[in-house]
Amino acid sequence: MGSELGSLVAVKLEAQPWVGSLVGLDSDPPRRRLRKAEFHLLKPAERERIVEVVTAFNPHVLINISVWEPDARAGLRDARSFTSDAAVAIIGAAAECPALESVVLRSGIEVYGRGRGTPTRPDETAPLHPTSEFGKMLLGLEQQTAVLAARAGLAIGTLRLAPVLGKHVPSPLGRLLRQPVVPYSALADSPFAVVQDGDAADAFVAAAARRLNEPLNLVAPGAITTLQAALRGHRIPLPLFGPGWGLAGRLSNMFGAPIPDHVIEVMHRGRLADGSRAIEVLGSTPANSTAQVIDHLYAWESVVRVGSVSQAVA
Amino acid sequence: MTPLSEHTRWPAHAVDDYGRDPHLVAALSPLARLRWNVHVTGAGNIPSNTGALLVCNSRRFSLSAVYAALALTDTTGRTVRFVGRPDIAPLGPLMRRVGALLAHPADVLGALRAGELVLIAAAGTSHARHAGAVPHELVGQAVIAQVPVLPVTTLSSSFGRTAHVAVGMPVTTRRARKGPLAHVELAEQVQHQLQRMLDAIGDEA
Repeated sequence: MGSELGSLVAVKLEAQPWVGSLVGLDSDPPRRRLRKAEFHLLKPAERERIVEVVTAFNPHVLINISVWEPDARAGLRDARSFTSDAAVAIIGAAAECPALESVVLRSGIEVYGRGRGTPTRPDETAPLHPTSEFGKMLLGLEQQTAVLAARAGLAIGTLRLAPVLGKHVPSPLGRLLRQPVVPYSALADSPFAVVQDGDAADAFVAAAARRLNEPLNLVAPGAITTLQAALRGHRIPLPLFGPGWGLAGRLSNMFGAPIPDHVIEVMHRGRLADGSRAIEVLGSTPANSTAQVIDHLYAWESVVRVGSVSQAVA
Repeated sequence: MTPLSEHTRWPAHAVDDYGRDPHLVAALSPLARLRWNVHVTGAGNIPSNTGALLVCNSRRFSLSAVYAALALTDTTGRTVRFVGRPDIAPLGPLMRRVGALLAHPADVLGALRAGELVLIAAAGTSHARHAGAVPHELVGQAVIAQVPVLPVTTLSSSFGRTAHVAVGMPVTTRRARKGPLAHVELAEQVQHQLQRMLDAIGDEA
């Protein structure tokens, strides 16, 4: 509930008539004002306390969004351990709750991998062969949850999200695209799809309401390449070949936008997925197309001047 | 909210769900027309709003799938994707931008289920009027997606500009099979139909 996506989901759940009470856990405080939800500030490693909170609440539905994307809010090592710790504690605790009916899990289309010969737009039945650290993390999370849920006889709904972008979402891809100079693969410039944070939050609410029991890809319609995105945002596109990526990675890291391997993979091999099943099951299409999400990303002003406090009071 | 790009003279391009770039295709079309002057017949057999698998004959190095897909896209107003891009840069990504899919059953099935028109080529032959073997693992995806399979004959000269593309009626198998044999028999049937159509052109000529 402390991430942008988690806070958005909580706000949307509060507005649902079927939601009686709501409890959230995170290591960061919520980013939006919550009226009904009860929030607990807990670190992923505080397993005992997490178990205590979850079992005392005894939920009917559990939504696990506690996924740390590498180089978004934490580096790779921390992201891996936070995600794993949170999953073990939260899902393990939830499995002890007699009222629990279903679990909705956040995953990503990185689980399909982008090895040679893999389908251009994998659907949910495509084999899972992640080729990036983030993809492997997400696959591990899916497997971990499946084992725990099978023991407890729970329904699991998995939302495999395209890279989530939004004005306030800490995303390594979003950060890279917003730099003044955007590197892209001169030889490939492959297409990718993304999803707006608000659309992803709507999908989580719909999945929880329907007690989703299958994996679904959540992808905004359309696709874009890095060069096209950079041009839409008036950035300077920088074509790169093989060794140039090493230097660009170090420079980007120096300017505060590290490029993790799953983002490099997006630029070289692209990342698309077939989201038609989600439309069928959840009954709605993401409201923003990939091009619109990119436009929104660039429409975010870097500095919003609201005037001094004294002027505002007067 | 007005998209940022509408306020500027920068190009605001994007690609479609499969990575096809309509602006690039529009830019390359005059070049394709310079190379091939394609006459299309039978385009009315192509469904107007559902998916279909089109299978064309192919003479080696003739790029028949490419010019047939571009010509059918122009004629029908629907995007016709062709199968056969390599999964290696820079050729693979470039072909993807003009509408090519991998020769991968999952890629073909996904596109057919999404209501797309997909064109695959039979095995290349050395003679323009011989239909090569039709890949049953790709044709089988039409059976799974429950979409029609249409034969498409292509004829072009190595040096001239004139090319012919003719779309036939949907092919059905004589026996109703449930297993993978249905895929093999449908592929054989399509090959026979293609050969019949090519022979008929020969007779007319």
